[in-house]
Amino acid sequence: MVKRKLGALEKVEADLPNLQHKIRRDPKSYIEDFRAQHYQYESHREIFMAAPTSATDTGIISLRDLIDFISHVADCYPEILKDFPQQLIDMLMQHHQVLEPELREKLVGSLTLLKKKDLVDSATLLHTLFPILISTPSKTLRALLFTKILSELRTANSKTTNHKLNRTMQTVLFNLVTSDRTSSKALWAIKITRELWKRQIWTDAKAVEIMKEASLSENEKVIIGGVRFFLGGDKEREEMEDEDSDEDIDVGRIRHQLGINKKTKKKARAAEKAVSAHKKKEKKKNQPHALNFSALHLLHDPQGFAEKLFAKHLQNSRSKLNLEQKLMVLQLVSRLVGLHKLHIMSLYSYFQKFLTPRQPSVTSFLASLAQASHDLVPPDVLEPLIQKIANEFVSEASAGEVATAGLNAIREICVRQPLAMNETLLQDLVMYKKSKDKGVMMASKGLLSLYRDVGASMLKKRDRGKEAAMGLRSGDKEQRRFGQQDIGGIEGLELLENWKEEERRRKRRDKGLPSDGEDDDDDEGDDWDAWNVEDDEDSDDSGEWINVQDDADISISDSEDEDRPSKKAKQEDEKAKATAEEAKKDAEASKESAFSKLATTRILTPADLAKLAELRAEASVDAAVNGNKRRPAPTASSRHNDDPLTAEEIEGLAALSAAKQTREERIAHAKEGKLDRSEHKSKEAKRRERKVEQGKSSTNKEKARKKNFMMTLGKARSKNKRSLVETRAVLKAHHDRKKRGGKRGNMGN
Amino acid sequence: MGASAKRKKEKQQDFQKPKLKVGKARAKPENFTDTSFRSKSIVLNQQSLQLSAPSSNSVFAHHLSLLTSKTDSQRRDSLAHLTTSIASRPVNSPLPQPVSVMLPSLLPLLLDASNAVRTQLIKLLRTLPRSDIQDHVLQLLPYVRAGMTHLAPDIRVTAVEILSWLVDAAGEQVVSCAGGWIKTLNCFLSVLGWHTEESARWSSTRASFGKSGSKGRPMVKVLGALAEFLEAGIGEPGANTDANGDQNGDGPSSAWPFPLCQTEHHMISESAAPYAYLNLFGQPRDEEGEMYETREDRYRVFSTRFLPSIDRGLKAAREEGGEMGRASSGVTKVLKGAMTYGPGP
Repeated sequence: MVKRKLGALEKVEADLPNLQHKIRRDPKSYIEDFRAQHYQYESHREIFMAAPTSATDTGIISLRDLIDFISHVADCYPEILKDFPQQLIDMLMQHHQVLEPELREKLVGSLTLLKKKDLVDSATLLHTLFPILISTPSKTLRALLFTKILSELRTANSKTTNHKLNRTMQTVLFNLVTSDRTSSKALWAIKITRELWKRQIWTDAKAVEIMKEASLSENEKVIIGGVRFFLGGDKEREEMEDEDSDEDIDVGRIRHQLGINKKTKKKARAAEKAVSAHKKKEKKKNQPHALNFSALHLLHDPQGFAEKLFAKHLQNSRSKLNLEQKLMVLQLVSRLVGLHKLHIMSLYSYFQKFLTPRQPSVTSFLASLAQASHDLVPPDVLEPLIQKIANEFVSEASAGEVATAGLNAIREICVRQPLAMNETLLQDLVMYKKSKDKGVMMASKGLLSLYRDVGASMLKKRDRGKEAAMGLRSGDKEQRRFGQQDIGGIEGLELLENWKEEERRRKRRDKGLPSDGEDDDDDEGDDWDAWNVEDDEDSDDSGEWINVQDDADISISDSEDEDRPSKKAKQEDEKAKATAEEAKKDAEASKESAFSKLATTRILTPADLAKLAELRAEASVDAAVNGNKRRPAPTASSRHNDDPLTAEEIEGLAALSAAKQTREERIAHAKEGKLDRSEHKSKEAKRRERKVEQGKSSTNKEKARKKNFMMTLGKARSKNKRSLVETRAVLKAHHDRKKRGGKRGNMGN
Repeated sequence: MGASAKRKKEKQQDFQKPKLKVGKARAKPENFTDTSFRSKSIVLNQQSLQLSAPSSNSVFAHHLSLLTSKTDSQRRDSLAHLTTSIASRPVNSPLPQPVSVMLPSLLPLLLDASNAVRTQLIKLLRTLPRSDIQDHVLQLLPYVRAGMTHLAPDIRVTAVEILSWLVDAAGEQVVSCAGGWIKTLNCFLSVLGWHTEESARWSSTRASFGKSGSKGRPMVKVLGALAEFLEAGIGEPGANTDANGDQNGDGPSSAWPFPLCQTEHHMISESAAPYAYLNLFGQPRDEEGEMYETREDRYRVFSTRFLPSIDRGLKAAREEGGEMGRASSGVTKVLKGAMTYGPGP
């Protein structure tokens, strides 16, 4: 035999992990050993501090091991170790540039461990880690620190929002961004803010303010980081949310597996964890959805911001951004302008020089221009731009894609500001509906249908179509004037009103009264009872609570009519008769005048709002099923205000007009709609796969089928040689077994 | 049966004639070596082009660098070589390398895992001239303290041995340098397990960690070292140091003629770092790391912080009897002497 090699640790039994384990079990008995190790740590630290650059892994125990050991048992001896965290912080802060990487990582790890044990507070930890993060030249250390800082902030905010910590951290980041605008260190502020925004830990205006300052900085990377955040941060957040809700735990399955598989503590713990996670998720589902405003809405002074962005990065001839980056900034500016309806007049003249088909990524410019137009932009500012687009892009001579893009861009601008179009140009453009190119034809038709809706009088008579022509004649379809606004209202309110009316009639009919009578009290009383949706729902199981409310007739409302519920029955007869006539007249008169009387005369209860949502959904479904089969034009109303307009939308159906796709492109296009279709397989194979996935085993039949042929041979051979008696016995046994239900029987005896 | 068939086939393959094909290159034999590569020159990694044998100084430096070798025996052999070359140098000739150069590579070996290396290290340290050691006590002590509290008992014993040598060589510096008094005493208490009342009692069932080590009677050695250390620190002045005798200045052995008295205090100090107590360039020191330069200071600190626990520990050791008790009597004697002298004149 070869002699077994002994490691250094085995020879001397300097086994710190072993000691650590023993200390954790019984700290009092091992205090002397711990003290010895602490002195050892002190002397090693002294050696280290005398020469931080020299290698520290001397002998069999290094400073790193000692630090690891002490920080793991630090909670057992708090008063011996009261200086320990500060020592680690000093070591890291003063020497992080010269420390060897392993020791450095150990220091960071130990500090976070101490934070977990509550020996360091999170503010101190962050104040230690963050300055190192932005100053260290080491990439690995930065990555480590970044993850640690993030996880620290996440855990600090996990139970409740830690406002104090968030505020200090945000201030630090803000100062970092604003202090030196030319340095790229602000990237860390951006990274941290963006990550926390994505995880919905920071959702306030201060975080947005940091990003705002970042996008106004001098450094390109920082600028683009900030701009990207505004353009994509909210989408990222939504995706993250979806991802979180995706992973679902099947509690039933886990329980089932726990019953079948071997029972170990580990598995039990895992099951418990899964169940608690599931419960937490359920609870979360029931909670009211947090209102998260998008970053663009949380901006203070969007006008000032947009102006500064435009002046600093786009108009300024000395800005160092390249075209792609400029496009991004332009996108942000135009989104701000469109969303908040800002006025930056020089922005539109800025577009002028980019609107030629030769301009690289011109569709993005077109999209930005469309985004930047809204109904408060003076039409005479937009008109030359539209004219230019029409001249440059839309002609018989130009390629199909170019004309399509031009027409789409014009339509998108006109959706937002219909007054920017003049009559001759419109009639010209509409003529392209006869184009042979499909993309151009579709784009032109889009423009046509838009103007049928918003300005039919500008079209030629034969282009107007039936509905628009009739509308014009009756005077319904007047062109909107500049600056004219819709009268605001609550969407679907008239539905609610109708429903209420119906309900009232039905009730009165049930009582045997004339269905048109006035009984305001009754109605209102019901409403107050049904103030809350939840009350309505759980009135069955919490009986007593509701009873109290019923008996005492507590009115939560103002004390206008205290007597209403109790005296209701007596009053009802006279009152109904007296007011019936008046009410009839009133109802007739008010029908046309005010649809929104409901909203102005009473407070909508949560129950009302719930009903309103229900009715709205119903109506939309109804419209989809029974209504107009024609696809509605993609107007401004159908898209959310926050959604950006992309270059792809401007390009539109150019793909159709090309007709020069390769086979691969066509296949890819066809596949686009069909989401991840799985491999073609037989039903049997699919079932087997599913079984394996669910952790189920095969059936006896399957096992018999799969059995090795050689193993079955012996039995088959002996079967041939059986005597009659043996055969009988076997058959009988089989019969009995069948009757019993298997070898062991399942009769439950 | 499958395996044997396979083997048979393999065996037969050796005797089969390879098939040759028209238009194809002949198959290469199995043991073919590719010799097609070319190179302008061949570089040998290590080569010595010196014609003369290396000088003894360069051999010394080479062995010094080998001290960080991974193999135990290499380190031990290098130490042995250094020891012999220091010991066999002509009398009064300087060391091949100054101590300040040697120490940084020697000191980590104090915590070496191998016993042989450490014993060889002690031998080497003993050969070094005392005067050189006195200036480097501050560097040595942290390693010694780290060794004294090491988890491995053998290393603890070695560290105690080295400390006793150090006290012998430069006692005054050991006890008066920064951190030399309190920290070292703390380490002693921790090695002996005398820190707390429960742990000092012989009957206590103290759970001790690690095995006792291969060398016997470690406690006896520690007690001996403690006695020496205390003697150096708070022993009766003048009993062993004759330099203290002429401190009063007007003694007959004074180097200065009559009208001058206490002149040496006004001269530039002869020690290596006369202003070390100002701590101009180091980390700020706490109470434990402070310098206690006079016997008075040391006695004050000792009597307030350590006397009770050492008394308690000594009592327990005496009660234990045997070799331990005998060794403890040495410490008791030193302690008694110090107590009778008191805080000082």
